[in-house]
This record gives sequence, C-alpha cells and structure tokens, in this order.
Amino acid sequence: MGLASYVAKRVLEGFFTVIIAVSIIFFLVNLAPGNPIYFIAGDPVFLSPAVVEYYTKLWGLDKPLYERYFIYISNLFRGELGNSYRFGGPVAQVIMERIPLTLSLTITSNILAFIIGTFMGLRAARSFGKGLDSALTVTTFFFNSIPGFFLGILLMLTFGVHLRLFPVAGLMDLRNPKTGIMLYLDIAYHAFLPVLTLTLILLPAYFKTVRDSAVQQLGEDYVLTLRAVGMDERRIFNKHVFRNVILPPITLLAIRLGFSLAGAALIENVFGWPGMGRLLLDSIRERDYPVLMGIYFTIVVTIVVISIILDLIYGILDPRIKSRG
Amino acid sequence: MVKTFTLRIAVLVTVMLITLPLFVVPYEVSAQTSTGSITCPYKGGTLIIIHMGDPKSFNPDAKADDPLYAIASNIFNKLVTLDVDYNVIPDLAESWEVSPDAKAFTFHLRKNVKWHDGTPFTCKDVKYTFEAMQKYKGVAYSNLKLDMLEGITCRDDYTAEFRFSDSNAPFLGFLAWYGTFVLPEHLYNKTEYTDWMDPNIPALSKPVGTGPFKFVEYVKGSHVTLEANKDYFAGAPCIGKLVFKIIPDAVAAMQSFLAGEGDVLGVTPPLSEIPRINSTEGVLVLARPMPSRYFMAYNMAQEKGRITLNKDVRFAIAYAINRTEIVEKAFSGYGFVAKGMYVPAIAWAYNPNTQPPSYNPAKAEEILDRLGYTKGPDGMRRLPDGRVLELKLVIWQGAQTEAMAQIIKENLRKIGIEVKIEVLELGAFQEKAYKDKDFDMSITNGFWGPDPHNMHMRFSSKGSHNLPGYVNPVTDDLLERAAKEPDLEKRKQLYWQAQEEFAKELPYFPLVDVVGFYISRTDWKGFYWELPGKVGINVYAQVWWAKGVTTTSLQPTQTTQTTQPTQTATTTPGGGLEQWLLPVVVVIVVLVLVALVLTRRRGT
Repeated sequence: MGLASYVAKRVLEGFFTVIIAVSIIFFLVNLAPGNPIYFIAGDPVFLSPAVVEYYTKLWGLDKPLYERYFIYISNLFRGELGNSYRFGGPVAQVIMERIPLTLSLTITSNILAFIIGTFMGLRAARSFGKGLDSALTVTTFFFNSIPGFFLGILLMLTFGVHLRLFPVAGLMDLRNPKTGIMLYLDIAYHAFLPVLTLTLILLPAYFKTVRDSAVQQLGEDYVLTLRAVGMDERRIFNKHVFRNVILPPITLLAIRLGFSLAGAALIENVFGWPGMGRLLLDSIRERDYPVLMGIYFTIVVTIVVISIILDLIYGILDPRIKSRG
Repeated sequence: MVKTFTLRIAVLVTVMLITLPLFVVPYEVSAQTSTGSITCPYKGGTLIIIHMGDPKSFNPDAKADDPLYAIASNIFNKLVTLDVDYNVIPDLAESWEVSPDAKAFTFHLRKNVKWHDGTPFTCKDVKYTFEAMQKYKGVAYSNLKLDMLEGITCRDDYTAEFRFSDSNAPFLGFLAWYGTFVLPEHLYNKTEYTDWMDPNIPALSKPVGTGPFKFVEYVKGSHVTLEANKDYFAGAPCIGKLVFKIIPDAVAAMQSFLAGEGDVLGVTPPLSEIPRINSTEGVLVLARPMPSRYFMAYNMAQEKGRITLNKDVRFAIAYAINRTEIVEKAFSGYGFVAKGMYVPAIAWAYNPNTQPPSYNPAKAEEILDRLGYTKGPDGMRRLPDGRVLELKLVIWQGAQTEAMAQIIKENLRKIGIEVKIEVLELGAFQEKAYKDKDFDMSITNGFWGPDPHNMHMRFSSKGSHNLPGYVNPVTDDLLERAAKEPDLEKRKQLYWQAQEEFAKELPYFPLVDVVGFYISRTDWKGFYWELPGKVGINVYAQVWWAKGVTTTSLQPTQTTQTTQPTQTATTTPGGGLEQWLLPVVVVIVVLVLVALVLTRRRGT
C-alpha cells in the first residue's frame, strides 16, 4: 500500500471517529440534568415563564432532541459551531481566544517534561540500582502521586506568597501595565509557576517509561557487544539505547498533547490563568451547550489529527511499522 | 557522567533564571497631581479589585451576570439605586412620584448628564431601555413586572412616566437593583441590529455609559480597566483608574490579594481564612449582615404519603436542628442564626415578633412519639408499615451546604430520623429540586431582597420559584395584596401578617443569615460600604488613596514593584494577546533545544 492511500484511509477513519464521538458527546451533553435557561436570571427565583419561553425559542430548545442533533451536525459540516449561550458571540471565537493561552502552558510544560523526563530516565537507567537511580525514582514517584492543583497551591504559597519571587495569580501585572516586549516577558513571568507545576506532574510518566525500557535494553545483546568493543558508556546510551527507548515517550507526548487543550483545567483555576480549562469548567457549570460541544469537538479533532500524524512519524522512526501498513 | 547530566539541568534552569531579573525592573515612579473641581482628599491612583469572573457581555440588562454587575455599576447608572443598607436612593432620577393606585411612576431626570461619548442623556434613553427589556426579556423583566407595562411616556426630555395595567408596588425596589441600567439609545437602537445582543453593536464590546468611569479595555480572563469620567454628573471620581482583576478561584483570589496584587478582595474567601486576612497588616475586614439567607424548604407539593406535609413533623424536624452548631461549624462562626421568617437586613419589612422554632430536641422527640413514629431497637423511628423513617435531603455542592447537611443529618439521627443526603451540582439541583420536587427537604440560599415581594416569588403558589411547592390561600392573598399597596405602612402590615402565617405553618425553616465581607487595604478610603445613603452598591467613585495624603513618597505598601501608576494611555492589546503568547512557547522550546543540542554535542 502506498503512502498516499495509507494516509487517505487513516483520514477517512479519523473522519468517522470524529462524527461518532461528536454524536455521543452531543447526547451526553444535552441529556445531562440541568437547564441553561436557569442561569439566565441568576437565582431562579427571578425567572418568569415569559423569559423561559423567550430563550427556549431563541436557542431552539423547543425542538426535539433528534432535530437539534441533525441541525447541529449539518451546521458542523458548514463549519458553524453556533453561538455561546453565555457570551452571545460565536463559539469558534470564544474558543480561539482561549487556545493560545492554554497551549502556551500545556505545550511548554509537556515538551519540558518530555525532554527532562527522558534524560532523567536515561540517566537513572545508566546508574541502575545505585543511589542516583533511587533518588530520581523516589522524587518522581512523589510528584506522580501529588494532585496537580495541590502542588500548584504549594508552589504558589512558597514562591508567590512567602518568597515573593513570582506573581500569585493572573496573566499580567496590572499595577504597572507593561507594553511591547515587556508585556510578553511579563506574561511569561506569570506563566512560570503554572508551567513549573504542570511540568513537575507530567514528568514522572516520561521518566518511568524511559527508565524502564532503558533498563530492559541494558540486557540486550547489542549493548553487551558495544560494551565488549569498549565503547564509551555515555555513547552507548546517547546513541544506541536512546534510539530504542524514544518511541514510547513520543507516543505519550503525542497523546498528552491531544488532551492538552483541556488537561490543565484545575491548575489554570489555581493560578487564575484564563485558558480553555477554565472555560470548560464554567461552561459545564452554566450548561453552555454550544461552547461545551465546541470544546469537545476541538479536542476530538486534535486527538484524531495527532494520532494520524503519530502513525506517520512511527513509520519514519521505526521502519518495521511501515511495512505492516 | 553525573557532571554532564547535572550540567544539562543546570543549563535549563539557568536559561530560565537569567531572564528573571528582566521582569523585576521597577517602573519609573511618577507623581499624579490633579487640580480637579471635586474635593477629593487625594486625586489619582489605580484601584485594583480582585474580581470574581469574566462578564458574559457588556449589556448589563440582558442576563443575570454577577461578574458584570459590579463592573457595570461603575460604567452605567440606573434611575434609582440601592445603598449598602438596601435603601432606594436617587441615581439618574433626582426625584420621583408614585400614583395612589401604584400603577403610575413618574421620574424627574437629572439635566447635566452626558454619555461617555458626549451625547446628552435624555428620557428617550430611558424609554428605549425599558422597552427593549420588555421586548427582549431582560433579566429584570419578571422582577419589574414588565408584562404589565402599558407604556413609557416622555413628558419632556427629563420626565419619564411608567404606566402599568395593575398595581406594581414593589417596582421601585427592583428598579434600584439588578439588570436595570439605562442604556444609550443612540448606540443600541438601530434598524440593522436584530436585538440588543446583536454582536454587531459596538457598545457590546466597548460599553458606553453615563457612570463615574469610562471603559478602557477588557482582556478576557485577565482584567477589565476603567478610567475616571471627568464629566461625571456628580463630579470626577477621586481615583484615576479602576481595574477589575479576574480570579474566580476563592483561594487564588485571596492569596493574590494578600500578596499585594489587589486593593479590594471582591471574591468571598473561604470563611476559615477570615481571621488570617483580618490579622494581616494593612488589611481591613468589615462584616455586614446581608439580606441573603440559607433556608431549608420542606416539600409541600401534594402527594399521597408525603411525610413533610404533616405540620407537626415539620416542627419536630425544626426543633431537632441545632442552628447555632451550624453557624459555628459550617460557617466558622461567620453567620447569624436566621431570625424571623423574613430577613432582618431589610428592616422595615421584617417582623421581629414571629420566630421559627429554636433548638429543642426533647420537644421534637415528644412530637414524634405522639405521632406514633416509634423507635426500633436500633434507635431509628419506624413508619406505620415498618420501614425506617428516612428523609431525603437534596443540596447543591458547596463547602457550606455540605457541612450544614452533615450537621442536620447528625441532629436528626439523634431523634431517630435517618437522613439521606444527595449532593448535586448546581444545574442538576435546579432541575431536581425546583422543577421535579424530588426531595423531602432541600437547602438553598438566595437573595431575599431587594423588596419583601421576594416572599411572593419564593413562597406564593403564583411565585416564579416556589421551592417548597407551597400552596396556601391565606399567604397567597396577603402577598398579592401587599404587591398592590402603594402605602409603605400598609404594605408592612400585610407582610408582617404573612410572616406570622409562615411561622405558624413552617413550609420552610430559616437556617443562617449570610454575613457579607468587605475586605480592602487600609491605604484606601471612601468605599460604598462606608457611605450608606451617598453612593450605590459597587460604585467606587468616592474612593481615594489615603496614603497619598499622609506621605509624600509615592510608594504604597507591598512589593518593590508597586508604584503610583501613571495616567499613560493603555496600549495593552486585547485581541493581540495571542500574537505574544505563541512566541513565548517558541522561545522557551528553542532555548531548551539549543541547550540540549549543546550538551549532547559535548557528550559525543
């Protein structure tokens, strides 16, 4: 099978995956208890039937569910995600405003965790069973067990409240508003603690994957051979073992990136970071169906696209896989 | 080998740390001297409010939008407004008259008012606002009874007359409250707009009001910035800028405030933290009773075998609940055992002579014994058919509600009633409790003002949200008549009678009256909570920087970075933020990769 038809097949599969996923999510979201109209008047005590009727019509909630479903799907094909109940504006715009903020946290921390975790894993494997190995294992085990939001609060209290090294919460300094390059540095400064938190909790998985498979590789014949010919230990690791252990963490990274759009919700909340996670939580609370659907749709598409790309990368990194396609 | 590894990490850390000093370069200190016509003890400065959330839009009349309410109160005005004691005070209307049948309301408008774009404010803005509210079902539609509004007449540019088809005595109180800001007709009322939430209306993203502050910018999820309106009809505000910094998480908001990132904590902190905040130097915590209360509704909807329909059972349960324990444990002591059947915070309508049952478990046991719910060997009471007497308590998620429910469960277990607690997320709660009435008892809290007509909404069979599902011709009639009575003294009598009847029947049991906290830095004075009768709730027009008067050095407290901000025009991009964030990612990634390549090359 040629590469083109292979890609075409994967894309077609992906397309149906998205449709099925969106359909399931549509019914889950719409059948969940709660009614978005209750949030129109804040306290439902101030809600009158006339208002309920007005918004039921305006949002098309008077139509039966299956009809709403077909309307939604056909709108989706036309690239329409609808209007947010809460904000009134187009869903696509609401989401697009948040994506860069979330990705700046999640992509940065995922890549940092991937790189640091991989090298820590290799390093631990090299001194397998020795002090450094145990120290790293115990440390990462600790960060693996601690809930992200809790670690976030700890870091915030330590570096923000007590040491005053970093801002506690928010996107930028509002007392002394910055402009130009200083604004961007200011945002990076505010992103430091959330990125650090995310990196620390994401790192253990990479570390463990790499360390374990590297330890496994140590028993392989080729390592023995290389050692026998007197090759430098570091070179064995960096060149040969590395090549063999890098696939699992790449898979992990790709999967994590797929979920990275909404994966930092609680940490975003702790640091008052206005990303997708917070949007998702707020939309769930106020039953903003169009935004919820839009977010899930974006996540599904991201995951499907990433898995297609991942398959292709696998073909490049590991020639054995391509022949199977 | 350990060396090279640590080197790699060291490079990474160094790359990050090297850039740090760049961020802590202090800004230039500059003095803000102003010779405004208004007598502010000090002029200028930026007041930062730690704020609860993002506004949904900038139309303050369309939907319930608590995050917008506080912001809009500084951009817009209402005809009349409420002070911190919930008294109606003048705003855009200098004075008003009510007809003897409470069907006609005449407002005399201020003459020196201009919209922020310079257009004069007139009666046609008032007419448009309330007609749009009627047409597009604004959030105040049901409170103001706009379904009965026959019309608004502008007798001249500065006299507006509202006519209702029936008496609407609670109108003024609600007019002063929520979703009633007057909108600029010249910006909203254009034929090309489908309705008042049409995204093409520029005033929806850049609001134009008549209020003390003008809109400057909004960065979603981050902040809203306003600046002083020099042409405000009551005189220019004392502060130069007003910033709402958005941090919805209560703990994060509190920490941010304590770290000096804000001057007012507008997000209620966890109650257990109040003592710590109060003992922080330079921070002032004020507490005031609010017209909001937690109460427990009994299910009063007619259904065969429903045990809460028995008045004696309702009283027995009420006697068994220790509300003092609830205040102490669930509210860390920051609340009041609810008094009366209506809130004392709205003093004129509150009847102090009718009180709900106070804690008396022996009396509760006595009632239940008399009713024949005998105790089994396990100490739990049995229904006539032998099943354990078990009641379902439905609540929504929340630290306070969940703690309260636990205490109630323990209290009732002591008298032999089993309680099954069902905790629901807010949306599901509203469906299950308000709509399906699927509970025996349900706890909620809510605002009981601004007018006692609130009792009609909550406990009349014609009420919009009658949680107990209560039907009583006596109270229905009293509340109905009160809503038609323009005479305040007569209204009061009717509401007092209704409270007596509620106390007799007990369809709901008041639990805890909420305390409102006003938390600010002592550097600032002139907050609305210090000025009842003079300024509306949430309005920061009279706040001034107290420290500016006593010291010549312009350094407020907190970090070295803090300075008295300049009045430079804000050029912070709102929509352009994305352009800056992706480079952040790219730069960090590139730096890290470079560092790795360098160290790897050394390795090979």
